[in-house]
Formats: sequence, C-alpha cells, structure tokens
Amino acid sequence: MEKITEQEIGLGRECLSLALSKGASAARIIIDKNTTNSIETLNGEIDKVSHCMDKSLSISIFADGRYGSFSTNRIDGDHLSEFVENAVKTTAMLAVDRCRMLPSPERCCKEAADGDELGLYDLMIEAMNSDMRRSVSLKASIFAETKNHKELPWELISEEGEYSDTLSDFLLIDSNGTFCRHTESSFDYSVEMTVADKDGNRYSGFDWDGCCRLDDLDIMNCGRNALGMAVAGIGPGNVESGKYNVVIDARNSRKLLNPLIRALRGEELHQNNSFLKDSLGKSVLPQGLTLVECSRKCGEAGARLFDHEGVDIPAGPVIENGVVKKYFLNTRMSGKLGLPPTVDGLYHPQLLPFPEKGLDRDAILALCGDGIYVTGFNGGNYNHATGNFSYGIEGFAFRNGKITHPVREMVFTGNFLRLWSGLLAVGSDNFPEHGKMMPTLAFAQADLSA
Amino acid sequence: MILDRQYYLNIFCTDERGMEELIATALRHGGNYCDLFFESSSNTDLVLQDGEVSSGGFSEDYGVGIRVLNGEKTGYAYAESTEWDAMKKSAEAASAIASGSVPSGPAISSPAYRGRPNPAADRYPMEIDWRKKSISDLIPYLTRLESLVRAKDSRIDKLQAVISSEVRDILMYNSLGELKYDTRPTGAIILSATFSQGNVTENKYVSRSLMAGAEMISDALLEEMAEDIVNGIDERFAARRPKGGRMPVVMGAGSSGILLHEAMGHAFEADFNRKGQSVFSGRMGQRICPRGINVIDDGTIRGNRGAVNFDDELVPGQKTYMVEDGVLSSYLHDRISAAYYGVKPTGNGRRESFRYHPLPRMRATYMEGCDARPEDIIASVRKGIFVDEFSNGQVKIGEGDFTFYVKSGFLIENGRLTMPIKDINVIGNGPQALADISMVGNDFKMDKGASVCGKGQEVQVSLGIPTVLINNLTVGGE
Repeated sequence: MEKITEQEIGLGRECLSLALSKGASAARIIIDKNTTNSIETLNGEIDKVSHCMDKSLSISIFADGRYGSFSTNRIDGDHLSEFVENAVKTTAMLAVDRCRMLPSPERCCKEAADGDELGLYDLMIEAMNSDMRRSVSLKASIFAETKNHKELPWELISEEGEYSDTLSDFLLIDSNGTFCRHTESSFDYSVEMTVADKDGNRYSGFDWDGCCRLDDLDIMNCGRNALGMAVAGIGPGNVESGKYNVVIDARNSRKLLNPLIRALRGEELHQNNSFLKDSLGKSVLPQGLTLVECSRKCGEAGARLFDHEGVDIPAGPVIENGVVKKYFLNTRMSGKLGLPPTVDGLYHPQLLPFPEKGLDRDAILALCGDGIYVTGFNGGNYNHATGNFSYGIEGFAFRNGKITHPVREMVFTGNFLRLWSGLLAVGSDNFPEHGKMMPTLAFAQADLSA
Repeated sequence: MILDRQYYLNIFCTDERGMEELIATALRHGGNYCDLFFESSSNTDLVLQDGEVSSGGFSEDYGVGIRVLNGEKTGYAYAESTEWDAMKKSAEAASAIASGSVPSGPAISSPAYRGRPNPAADRYPMEIDWRKKSISDLIPYLTRLESLVRAKDSRIDKLQAVISSEVRDILMYNSLGELKYDTRPTGAIILSATFSQGNVTENKYVSRSLMAGAEMISDALLEEMAEDIVNGIDERFAARRPKGGRMPVVMGAGSSGILLHEAMGHAFEADFNRKGQSVFSGRMGQRICPRGINVIDDGTIRGNRGAVNFDDELVPGQKTYMVEDGVLSSYLHDRISAAYYGVKPTGNGRRESFRYHPLPRMRATYMEGCDARPEDIIASVRKGIFVDEFSNGQVKIGEGDFTFYVKSGFLIENGRLTMPIKDINVIGNGPQALADISMVGNDFKMDKGASVCGKGQEVQVSLGIPTVLINNLTVGGE
C-alpha cells in the first residue's frame, strides 16, 4: 500500500513547468494511485487472490485557446519529458475553443491539502495482510452451514463471494497554484448465491456492503441476505400488464435517480440531449422531491471537497421541493451555455424523506397498498433527450401492504418527468450505494408489461 | 499485425530466460501453471463538437500481468513496469494462491500450439499504423463527416463525431514454454446527433469499428455513416410506444445479434457452467433450438472486432459451433474450464488488459442464415413488433432472463410494418426464447458497430444474425 510520494508530487510539478516552457499557457496535472487487494471465494474456499497497483499521470494542456488531455502510467522522469513535449505539440494541432480554461483560483478548493480532511482514510488498510484478508473472506461464507441443511425444498448450487480493500490517493495541481488531494480507503464485500428448485430452475440473489472503515463493514449478513433473495424468488407468479403502484428497493433506487442527475449536467444540456433542458429555477419535478449535495459529510463514502477541476464543492440543494436549483457546469460548459460555473457533478447526494420522516420499506408498502415491489433491474435504458425509459424488472407483488409472491420477466416503461410527478414516498432508510444515500422510493400508477 | 519476435522482446525489455525466471518465481510456492501477459497500448481520441475538432489527446498504458493457477484456483497480480524488482513483487503476490494449499481440479498440462505466430495468417493486418498517423491527418475526416451529415438533414441541432484508435503490442509466455505475440489495432468512428423538429428533440447514434489500421477510414465509409445517421429519423419523430405485453418479435438482420449475445452467449461461457450457475448447465448435447439452427462464436473473421490470432492465454483463435442443427454442441472455454471438462480450449480466454486475468468471453457471435425470406417472416405475424436498432442488453445467468433495449422498430399488424416504435425494453427467458424461434431468414448480416461486452471487465466483440422470428417475448409499453 503506497500513497502518492513527495517524489511523484515533484514529478507532477516538473511536468507543469515543462508544459509551460514548451508553449502551454496553462496546465493541470492529476496523479491517481490505487492499490486493491481482493480475495474471491467459491463455495467457502479461496478461489482467487489478486493484487493490483495502479498509478497514472494525466495532463490537461491549455495553449492559446486550444486544449488536449493526455495520460500515461509510465511515471519516470525521462519518459515523462517526451510525453509532455508530445502532448503540447499535439494540442497545437487542435482547433481553438475559447471556453477551455482553468477555473479561476478563487473558485478552487483550498482545504484539501492533506487528503484526509473528510476522515475517509482508515489506517487499518495499512495493517491488512494476506492472512487477515483470507480470514475475513472465509468468515463471511455461509456455504458449509447451508449446504449441510437437509430436507430443504431447494438446493444451494453456489456461493461466490469477494472481499476487497482499496487505498485511493488522488492529487490535482494546476499552473494557477491549485493543490487538492483526496485520500480514501474502502472495504467491500459482495456475494452471489445461486439455488435450484426441485425442477432444476435456478434463482440467484446478490448482496453487498462497502464503507471506508473496516469496523463498519458488515459482512456477516450479506450471504444470508443474498440467499434469502434467491430463495424468495422461487416460483414466480403471473401478473397482468397494467398500471401499478411501484415501490423501488433502496438498493436499486439509484437507477431512477441517476438519469435526473445526468440530465442536469452541462455536457448533456449543451448537446441538447437532456430532458431537463431549460429547467433551471423552474418547478418541473414534484414538490416532494428535494435532492441535496452532502459533499462535506465527514466519514461518509462519497464525501468530497473538490471536483475534477479542483473546484470547491459546496453542500446544498440541487432540487428543492421540485424546483431545479443547480446545473452541473464545469468551466467549459459554463462558457458554452453562458451560465455561471458551478461544479462538474453531484458527489454525495441524498434525497430528503417524503411525505414524512421515518418511513421504511414496510411503511411504504403499507402506504401504497397494492402494487409491485422492485428488488432488481434487468437491463433497459432511457432516451436522454425525451426522458422516456424502459427497464426489465423483478421483485414481488404486494397486496394490502404485504408481499404475496415473486414476479419476474416484467418491463417497467414510462417517462421520467411523468414518473417522478407520481412520487408517493421517499423513505428514510438510506442505503449508502456508491457514495449516494439512496432510500426506498414509491411511485403511483406506473406502466408494467408482463 | 504480427511483427518480428525481437520487436516485442525489445518493447518489454525481456527475453525467454528472463520470462522463465519470472515464472519460476511465481511458481515457487507451488501451482501447476503460470502465464505472463505483457502489454503496451496507445490510444488516441479526436472529438469534433460545435463544428470544430477542438478536443483530443492520447493515453498510453504499459505493464505485465502474471497469473498462477493451482488447479482451478487463480492468483493474479500485475506490474506497471518491466523492471525486475517490480515484476518479481507481482510474481510473489500471484504465487500466494498456491501458498499452503493443494491443487484442486485438473492441471493445465498440454500446450495449445507450440508454433510461432505466422504473419501470413494474421487476422488484423495494419497497413497504416495509427501510431504513425498525425492527428492533423485525421482532423479533415471529421470535418468532412460533419459536412456530409449536415448536408443530408437540416434538422440536425448538435453533432458530435469521434475518431478513436488503439494499438496494443502483446507478448505472452507460459510455463508450458509457449511464446506468442502480436499487435492488435482497433479503430472506431462514432457519430451522435440530436435532431430538432418543432419543440421535439430526438437523438441517434451510429458507429463503425474494425481491427485495422487507419486505412479503414475512407470516403465511402464516411458517406455510409452519414447516410445511416439520418436514415429513419422521420420514423423516430413519428414513433410511439406500443401497448406492452407478450407478442411475437421479428428481429431484423445484423445488430439483432444482441439476442444471441444475451440470450445464449453469456450462458454458454463455460465458467458459469463449470460452477453450475448457468441456465444451460448440464444441457450439453441437448436440443435447445429448432432443427437447422447453427450458432457460432468466431475468432477468425479478418478485421472483425472479435478476431484473435491467439486469445489472451496463448490459444489459437478458432471458429466454435455452440449450437449445431439446434443442439448445444460446445461451451466457450478458457484453459481452466477446458481442463475441467476435458476438452480442448476454444480460444475464448480474453481480457480487457494486463490489469485483468482472462475469462471465457465471446468474440464474434452469430447465427447462420436459413432459407426464409425476410418479407415472408414479417408477413407471417398478425400482431407483433419488428426491431432493428438497439443500445444495450443484459442477462441473468442463472434464471436465463435476458433483455435488450430497442431504439427503433415498427409495429407489425396483419403482416405489415405499420407504426414506428422506439425506446422500449424487451425481455425474455433464454431457453424459452431459443425454443420459440420459428423462422430464420436468408439475409445474414454482420453488425459493423463498436460493440463492447462487460463482465467485470470490458472486451470488444461483434455480433450478427439473419432476420429471425421469436414467437413470444415480453415487450415494454404504455
């Protein structure tokens, strides 16, 4: 496990100076270094061990209104000189784009000098060794205890688990003097269980946990949750095509939030490929929808002080009571769209509860009465320009707030603006999913095909 | 492209003795097989946006992956340097799989092919090396492409065109003494546009990709792409969602090969079957489609995105019949699964880069044509849909439920194409859908797009199919 060294930071600074001396008017360097160790298990035995160490240096060259971006993993002095020289020469061949420039220094983050300001780095990652990783992986397995159960109406076919830990160190420096660093540890465990019913039909369930501190990693329940999901899916029943209240499990609800976030990005707006174009300051979403950036929540995976240009990420609302409060505009997109710059994305989003605090999955099922509870998506996509979507889904039918039987091979189709306008509930049961705090969601009268 | 052996040894600053020493280090705790995968790659991207090629750059990646097998168990590590100390450290990390454990499962002991790579049999020659092509030579192609497209349709609001190229120098060596090397070029041109009509906006995407050098770009290709991106846009504006439910689906020739990729290809990958997880586990030799249907995964098509001279574990590329006359005849094997099943590896061991260990992966997956005329297939459907443009697909290996997202198609009413449709997901179950294939056309077509397959790591693939009728799939709708 190795963080970015002082020598590598020095090389980065030399690259900046070299780029300027070769004709760049400004430049930005990013050094990204990651070390991942993982252990995969199959049926309670170690199946795969791997060790990955990556480092890369990326340089953005700004030269008389021209822009190029370049990267290499060959970070040694002699090679880097040639690399930077070629980068500057290549940039000179491109057309001028006056919107390409570094962000102004006053917009850039000045609080991320150490890398661990947000408390996302657990020293335990340095103490982890091969024996400890094997021990964690094997301890999480429930294969032996499950396989030995007799007289079950199903057979356990396989258990595939993976434990991994990663140290990520990210450094951004630019020729305006910006210096930002973000250091983070992460510990993850995931498991997939496959079972077969008495006719040999297979059903699988998947569960995972991830966090930045080893003590917070809950590996012991993943296998049981995944097995529970696989077994609960046995014997799917039929439902008719039609309109249903739909409840989306917290572990899957990002699928419906991500398109909203993407539609607010400058790149999509500039390409006229966003179903939320011309929505800034307007009430285009339901009153119950409030989405906030929680970038500065210490200790929570996904928290971040600066974006990919080094710009400070403020906490605050993105959508407030259905009103779009912010587009995600980096320096270039700000220039292209003629709007003030913000940041280039949403890093640690959270949806606020609706219609009241404290609702969990069961309370939301009860609130909805009858419908379909979605526990998994299978493929699908959406039209970025129109917001029309169509996804394969699986889950459970529920009646009077109680789950009745599993369903699968269904298609969930609609339009995001119409879907969100039928928002019934946002739970308080946030599941931390890839840095996003995602709750159970419920929508009224969505189209399902079966 | 296959160059002289010494060219590759020089790039990676190594020789056979050095590689043998590295393998000995990796196997010092035990294990019964080891392979080394050296890679040096360079990528270039050029982007036209707002009428100007104002964005571009290149990236380079260099390193060696070291894999140790202890029976079916894998140890893997890589170094981003070919200096001895870095490689030795990675070899020791990979060796951990054998530390204190006995081998489980059969060992890989037979070489796949002892001979040297033969330049005359090269499946992806590169006449014009992308690495020697200045980006200033490529810029005019993008501006010409934009002019061609804009001249064809005044409704184009925004247009983005990309030329992307990659060249990978590969050197592989294993503990069986096999040595293989080649240079893998891939070029892609990607065009995306938004069209405005009144206050309605629509988008469209077209791509072309080959394993070839810069000679792949021609005026004819640009003209073909310009024509493709504006073709069907009237229908796109007019299109609606159909009423959803179960119905017959006619899959148009070419890109509908996504059906094979999702409904059967992944489930035929032998790692899933070895672990008993696939819906097709234990079904070898059984009828899974009607008679007359042949489904192939092919690494031998010259210039195709799925072509391999040798796969990423030194096995010669080959043409593999997965389904012959409707009967499941072969899984797609890497060396581990081939040893498990006691068969020869099929050349499907592929990986994204030296950062990943190889897995059974598809190459060019397609169904051979039969004798039905496409118009007769459509005419046979009273009420259903015809689909011919897709964006993505997915499958659940155990359950066999697969989906693909339809960008465009038509309703079929009383044997005729009527209302255009768009933006719907179609879902089915693999074994059932294959059994439900009732007509296969005589119009086989290979898709030309830049298809990518994801399985924890990405590899380039391609697909093809003639027009096919499936009697019953679930179609999304409102």
